[in-house]
Amino acid sequence: MRLTRSRRHPIGFLRGVVEDATSFAADAAAGFRRNGLMTAAAVTTVMVALLVVGAAVLLGLNLARVASAVEAQVEVVAFLQEGLDGEGRARVTSALAGLPGVASVHFVTRDEALRRLQDQLGSGGGFDDLVKTNPLPDSVELQLTDPVLAPTVAQAVSRQPGVSEVTYGGQVVDRVVALSRSVRLVAGLLIAFLAGVALIVVVNTIRLTVIARRQEIEIMHLVGATRWFIRWPFLIEGLLQGAAAAGGAVIVLLLVYALGVARLGASLPFLPLVGMREVLEPVAAAVLLGGAGVGVLGSMIAIRRFLAT
Amino acid sequence: MVQLQDVTKSYPNGVVALRGISLRVEPGEFVFVVGPTGTGKSTLLKLLYRAEVPTRGRVFVGNRDVTRLPAGAVAGLRRSLGVVFQDFKLLPGRTVFENVAFALRVIGTPREAIRPRVQRALDLVGLADRAHHVPGHLSGGEQQRVSIARAIVNNPSLLLADEPTGNLDPNSSWEIMQVLSRVNLRGTTVIMTTHNKTVVDILRRRVVQLADGQIVRDQVRGLYALDA
Repeated sequence: MRLTRSRRHPIGFLRGVVEDATSFAADAAAGFRRNGLMTAAAVTTVMVALLVVGAAVLLGLNLARVASAVEAQVEVVAFLQEGLDGEGRARVTSALAGLPGVASVHFVTRDEALRRLQDQLGSGGGFDDLVKTNPLPDSVELQLTDPVLAPTVAQAVSRQPGVSEVTYGGQVVDRVVALSRSVRLVAGLLIAFLAGVALIVVVNTIRLTVIARRQEIEIMHLVGATRWFIRWPFLIEGLLQGAAAAGGAVIVLLLVYALGVARLGASLPFLPLVGMREVLEPVAAAVLLGGAGVGVLGSMIAIRRFLAT
Repeated sequence: MVQLQDVTKSYPNGVVALRGISLRVEPGEFVFVVGPTGTGKSTLLKLLYRAEVPTRGRVFVGNRDVTRLPAGAVAGLRRSLGVVFQDFKLLPGRTVFENVAFALRVIGTPREAIRPRVQRALDLVGLADRAHHVPGHLSGGEQQRVSIARAIVNNPSLLLADEPTGNLDPNSSWEIMQVLSRVNLRGTTVIMTTHNKTVVDILRRRVVQLADGQIVRDQVRGLYALDA
């Protein structure tokens, strides 16, 4: 029986690995050169697919940020019935403060509520009438221990005597959550489709290299090279294509995002955008992983048929 | 060395290449497999190096049950035998030395062990002085000797040759037969399919004759045909 390299001597084995690695890299680079146009097409296609992946990640991160910002602002507002005297208002307020899930309460007089409204809408006039016949009721604002409790607390509040109406910011949160869910769905479908296209192009590109080297592959099989030995150079070629596409996609995405953040931040300062530094890592990870995955999978498929014999 | 038990091979297109063949080849034997084209000679060899799997029956090479060999173990089987083809299957862009070394390189032989072994194989086939030529500059007979050197550089115990003289003129064919005999004398079992009546009749080795997928004759020191 023949001894394998590893069992013979470890230094020889190490040197062999280095030699193999360099020859793999040389083979892969040769493949890159040989099918220049096809390779460019494959890299571009994969890059487009990865741009969508990265954009989806960016959008998802920002929607999550918006949702949590809105959630943090969630409070339940209880509008009180009209005609309560000072004692009645105090009684209702302390009853509300005692409800489970309520962190703190803040009593807002109808005058204060009107003033806030004026502040929000600006001094466009026309408020003079309202000041005389203020239509707003007194209200109590409840800060919650956990925004998730909003619906439950709202229900309990509505059952309290002296409370006429309850609202909470939950509707907004629900909408943001629903939006990010549909963004995820659309992005998922788009990514699946583009990944399929990218895969086909990668498979065809690598297959050109495989066909160019099919004599060598046949002889390798014949003399007993292992299937992994034969596969390696092609996997590396696929990996390089995927990585090149991913690198391009990351650069484009981050440039566009930096510009976008600067523009949007200037015109819509209240929008809670995720900063560049926080965005870099998840986007790069998703895009690089996607690129490497498409590259490796593509070359596996491309060589599969040639490994059969 | 080699054993086939009631082996049948039919291809998906309906062609039945072998019908219930049983054959036993002892270590160190030299066996000619003869018969007209399309009688299953090549299929017989393909079963031995596991390019094909029998439809029925079992095939043993050495102590391996080739029929039950998992895909990952095929490489191990191929390292224990050498194969030579009618069309040489050499890499045109590489020198004679590189073509032979290729077989060692791709199974992970350490570099320092490759040179002496390639040298020895080229000496055995008488091409040491052609080491740095490319196959295109060699005659057909020389190219076939390179392919034999590649097949034996790994010291296999079995050499399979599928019509090795099929493309060669009589002189070159004799060179090849001399090389194969030398390989056989070193103890390597040789199984060779051929159409070459002259070669078979002069060498007088064991002859297995196939007709229509069956063994119709198995003769020690045989001739190409009985009525010859």
